[in-house]
Amino acid sequence: MIEANGLTKVYGAKTAVAGASFTVRAGQVTGFLGPNGAGKSTTMRMIMGLDRPTSGSVTVNGLPYVRHKAPLREVGALLDAKAVHTSRSAYNHLLAMAATHGIPRSRVHEVIEMTGLEAVARKKAGGFSLGMGQRLGIAAALLGDPRTLILDEPVNGLDPEGVVWVRNLVRYLAGQGRTVFLSSHLMSEMAQTADHLIVIGRGRVIADAPMQDIITGRGQERTKVRTDEPVRLTQLLAGRGASVAHRESDLLEVSGLDPRAIAGTALENQIMVYELTPLVASLEEAYMELTKDDVEYHSLPAAEAAK
Amino acid sequence: MSPTATEPVPPREPAPSDSPPASRHSGRPLPGPTFLRVLNSEAIKFRSLLSTLILLASTAAVMVGFGALSAWGTGQFAGAAARDPQAAARITAQGGDLAVSVPTSGIAFAQLILGSLGVLLMSSEFTTGMARSTFTAVPRRLPAFAAKLVVVMATSFVVTAVSTWVAGLVAVPILDSYGLKLDPGSSQSVKLLLVNSAYVAAVAAIGLALGTLLRNSAGGIMSLVGIFFVAPIAFQLIPGDFFKEARKYLPGNTVDSLAAAEHVPDTLEAWQAAVVLGAWVLIPLLLAAVLLKRRDV
Repeated sequence: MIEANGLTKVYGAKTAVAGASFTVRAGQVTGFLGPNGAGKSTTMRMIMGLDRPTSGSVTVNGLPYVRHKAPLREVGALLDAKAVHTSRSAYNHLLAMAATHGIPRSRVHEVIEMTGLEAVARKKAGGFSLGMGQRLGIAAALLGDPRTLILDEPVNGLDPEGVVWVRNLVRYLAGQGRTVFLSSHLMSEMAQTADHLIVIGRGRVIADAPMQDIITGRGQERTKVRTDEPVRLTQLLAGRGASVAHRESDLLEVSGLDPRAIAGTALENQIMVYELTPLVASLEEAYMELTKDDVEYHSLPAAEAAK
Repeated sequence: MSPTATEPVPPREPAPSDSPPASRHSGRPLPGPTFLRVLNSEAIKFRSLLSTLILLASTAAVMVGFGALSAWGTGQFAGAAARDPQAAARITAQGGDLAVSVPTSGIAFAQLILGSLGVLLMSSEFTTGMARSTFTAVPRRLPAFAAKLVVVMATSFVVTAVSTWVAGLVAVPILDSYGLKLDPGSSQSVKLLLVNSAYVAAVAAIGLALGTLLRNSAGGIMSLVGIFFVAPIAFQLIPGDFFKEARKYLPGNTVDSLAAAEHVPDTLEAWQAAVVLGAWVLIPLLLAAVLLKRRDV
């Protein structure tokens, strides 16, 4: 459980995070989505006590991270794949991290095996590919078997198998009741991994809602309708408050009415309909619209739905 | 990418416990970073870098090498002095013992190498990004700083002491061939060994403080060189009594006062030198500790 309250970070003239408040709950994967420079990494560094908030506060499992007696056993974090001394081997890096908490050597071997680093564990971390660096960072995050995991762009630089591996790993960990907070600027990745989504843009939380609500909750559910009598059906649907776009000679795109109401209208008026397809907005579309620009931040339905 | 890496997770996940995460900690006495654990971690970090080992080996090589060279040079000088009554009188005035300081002749280089090691120990954390891992594991930060201090000071002391001892052993037969006697077990020899080793440990501490304050390897090492090599020479060249007086208070000039068998006029008394060196160590360390705690990583 992570709770941020009015979290703000100002660097000189630039406000990186502006009063972010949100809660990340246990037992699910919470995605933290936003364009580059939106304040995701800064927020995560503040959660981990590395950056001091200008104002506001954030707690993990009820306490500020710094005040936990055994921080690595509470929270594991991958903040940056390069948070490693380049001349030290992966094994020694993990061993030194484990030593701070009295975590046994056997656990170091376990996380190395879990992350598939056996072959390179004795090599200098500086020579690692981005993907190997990510695996090492994830291994370090898992060392303390923590209740909460914070992963900043974990799939960045991973090959497709690695991406699937991370996705399975975080879903598995969340399934065990752990809190998983995962940032990405890749919407498609989030759509497949996260249960809940916090969208951030220019340092502000612009949406905080279950994944499904973000995708569909924008009010504009559209339906593809194929019929022999498009003109008559258009008039009838418009009469019931729908807005209809005539896409092809026999194809309409209807918004403002659900498929059942459309079918009902057609049935009452003896109009044959031979396709009725709900169009699910992709997360990508939702995201693009959410982050379009500053002005729209406060007026979006999703942002309101999230309150 | 290794072929084993892509299997689905659950089958190869022996670790995460079956018991609910919330109750895992009960009954486990001290799960977190105690100082001894942090010290152990810093010791692992220290010895797992090749560069550290190279710097330590260089220190030993320089100390022993200069000890041998100095033994040879001292022998030559003493031979010349034997034929020159004035020089012989000067040597007698200085307590008559040239040989005793031979084992510590390389100290100026040892302090530079181990001082740089102190700088690098912290600056490399920031230049490589390791600091984010270090201060995530030890979010209170100061235990990690203190552990680094203990590691670098203890290592510097031991390496200097051992290489001084070895330098003495190497110097004895060389001096012997010129008819000079060096007893590495004499009280002044032991005092020189201990004072110089403690001094180098102090320089390493100053280095660590500089590395923490500047977070930059080149900047930290240059500052160290400035304080220990450039300033003494500059202060000597600048005319005026102020700089002549100020020069006494540079840290690099304290070691001679501390190790002197008797007080030499126009230098600091041993206790004054100890206070001055102490201030040069403590003030940067305190400043570094405060800023390390305050600044963002």
